[in-house]
Amino acid sequence: MKKASLPAIAATAVICFIFWLLLTGELASLIEGEPSLEVLIAGALVSVGVALFSARFFIHERPLFFFNPVRIFWLLVYCVGVFPMELFKANWDVAKRALSPGLPINPGIVKIPVELKSQYGQSMLADSITLTPGTIIMNTVKEEDKDYFYVHWIHVDSADHEEAGAAIKGRLEKWARRIWE
Amino acid sequence: MIYVVYALIFFSAFFALAGVVGMLRMPDTFCRMQSSTNITTFGMIGVIAGGVLYSGFVLYNYEMLIKLIVMGLFYILTTPISAHAIAKGAYHHGNKMIEDAACDQYKEDMEE
Repeated sequence: MKKASLPAIAATAVICFIFWLLLTGELASLIEGEPSLEVLIAGALVSVGVALFSARFFIHERPLFFFNPVRIFWLLVYCVGVFPMELFKANWDVAKRALSPGLPINPGIVKIPVELKSQYGQSMLADSITLTPGTIIMNTVKEEDKDYFYVHWIHVDSADHEEAGAAIKGRLEKWARRIWE
Repeated sequence: MIYVVYALIFFSAFFALAGVVGMLRMPDTFCRMQSSTNITTFGMIGVIAGGVLYSGFVLYNYEMLIKLIVMGLFYILTTPISAHAIAKGAYHHGNKMIEDAACDQYKEDMEE
């Protein structure tokens, strides 16, 4: 296993420190304007200590590229605007199928191509597709330098790889590329 | 503001109901999992969003608000991973899809 570089350790430490702030409730004290210095210092020390040991498991690609305001802005837009819209459409569709008397489903497992190269981008796309009701990723496979997902789809409109991919991924892949590549 | 909170909780209760009805009516394991995603997404996000608004604008308790956001964050990060694992595990364990399934390209590729 390769050794962690200094930027990788720094990136992991920053992320650990953010979670320390969230979990100890210190962020609330910061908002209210009475932070406790002891908790902040202890958090910084613990974050660096954890980062020294865990950076090599956590960072696999370029370590600092995510600390880029443009990417963080697009990630926020995705989480607050784009993804909830897709989620609402899919939720409504599956709820309608479950409640309608004829149970109009046509399940099947299709194989869809993935254009993303970044591992983070692929896992974000896979998690987004699984979170939308109606589609679950079952496995991934790499064939001839191209990645494929096997997706269980509750209503198969087309068994063709490209058409099924376009229908399932929709806008999500474009956004994953904008954030991670 | 309290009426917005009621509306959000009612909204997620509707999707949770639809998810449970779907889980009882769907024919096989994988379709049941699809329906249960209804509960795990909007059934939960609505309740958490309602809690965030309630703690932020009614109680003014920011510690509770941040804990709720952390809960929602970890919830969203972990559910899809367990869904991948359960779906793959169920398939390899031998759970069958219904007979007249549209296609099964996973099985075709595994037999090659």
